[in-house]
Amino acid sequence: MLRYLICLSALLAVSACTTAKPDYCAVNLRDNLSAAMNTVETKLAGGCEYSFNSYFNSLLTIAEANPSKDNKMLFSDHLMRVNDMGVISRRQAEGLYNRYFNVKFVSLQGDYNTCSQTCPVRAQVLSDMQAELHDKELGLMRASADSASFYRADTLLKETDLVLEATCRACAAGSAQ
Amino acid sequence: MPSAINNSTRRHEYAFGIILLALVILGSAPASAGVSGPVVRLFPTTVLEDIRETGQVAEEMENNLQEVINRMDMQQQLFEESLCQGADGDQGCDRIGKQLGATYLEMLDIMSERLPEMERAVNNTRSSLEKRLRQELGQRTTPTSLQNALLGETTSSAQADRPALRGRSGVRLSDRFKQYYNLVSTNREGASKSLAVVASDIYLDMDEASHLIAATQEEIGRAALMEQLNQSFGMITPEMAAVVGGVKEILFGESMGEAAIAAPPYAIGEADFVSPLAM
Repeated sequence: MLRYLICLSALLAVSACTTAKPDYCAVNLRDNLSAAMNTVETKLAGGCEYSFNSYFNSLLTIAEANPSKDNKMLFSDHLMRVNDMGVISRRQAEGLYNRYFNVKFVSLQGDYNTCSQTCPVRAQVLSDMQAELHDKELGLMRASADSASFYRADTLLKETDLVLEATCRACAAGSAQ
Repeated sequence: MPSAINNSTRRHEYAFGIILLALVILGSAPASAGVSGPVVRLFPTTVLEDIRETGQVAEEMENNLQEVINRMDMQQQLFEESLCQGADGDQGCDRIGKQLGATYLEMLDIMSERLPEMERAVNNTRSSLEKRLRQELGQRTTPTSLQNALLGETTSSAQADRPALRGRSGVRLSDRFKQYYNLVSTNREGASKSLAVVASDIYLDMDEASHLIAATQEEIGRAALMEQLNQSFGMITPEMAAVVGGVKEILFGESMGEAAIAAPPYAIGEADFVSPLAM
């Protein structure tokens, strides 16, 4: 009986040791954004590429808690370093930076003419732009304390809505003729 | 002989070289123009002339209707203050009601006389703007360049000069056209980005006005007949009130007040950070 008890406690001890082993990619990021970015980059270089999205969201949360005009630049530099490391592509870096920290909308892009590319999916484009505006609110207004740029993006969305409504109506009238 | 052949070959090569050079120069011209982006010309002289004419026609219609509508307002006020609503059989009320009905018929007459001209002017402006919007913003502009064009507008003066958008200005129709005309006639060579918004705004207004005019014209005959019948009873119908309200709204910008679409202007500061990742 005693032997069973000893074996059981030994097994429990072994299993406790295995569950207590820390996950290398899990990280508790602190309030200093630059230091947090350094930590993230170290982790990414150490094989935690798949955690990039959750790291990025954590960095945004830290920036939101410590709003500063410099945050925009810190994120730009961070994304470029992550791109240099090969974790994300240049296109992904640009997409993320512009989605959160630029007045321009990633959702309104294209190399074909507006009649053929945007008008058939106008409602979807505007819906995507609306969602992107929420991200700009986080990146520009709450994280970078740049409310003027956020309001400019808001105006751009409204003007785009108006201009696309008119342009797409004109395109439709032309194709109906 | 061989030297003659050589000379001839050289001449051909020389001519071919010149043609090739010309083609390269011609070919490079649109490419270099494309670097700075296409020039958006939304308001050529013909469109400006259409806008000016529509403003004039609207002003004539307003002047003709103003006096009749003022008279109707006074009669309506008298009718309400005399508690005539539902007072059947009261001779005084019947008289006021008939006067009101007669003024209403007068308004319908003026409108049926003036509306075809207004319709023609509005449709001309709509068609010319429709063509320009389709060509310049629809077919010659990509979504990327459209966004760039709209964003280029950052000066406070461009916003300050702009009339309120989408017919919500609370001003007379003719005044709005004067504002549009002044804006586009002074700025048509520059600030094309703000003109994209103005052109869209005018076009949508004209499209709406065109449908309203067509619907009003259809209704006028029916409304006139109804009122001629009502004259024998001296009644004020809700349709009368609605038609008069609609006319005042379109022509004089009354009963409006929603917020304009555009927000306060923003000028980007010199010290703003520009990321190498920025679009």
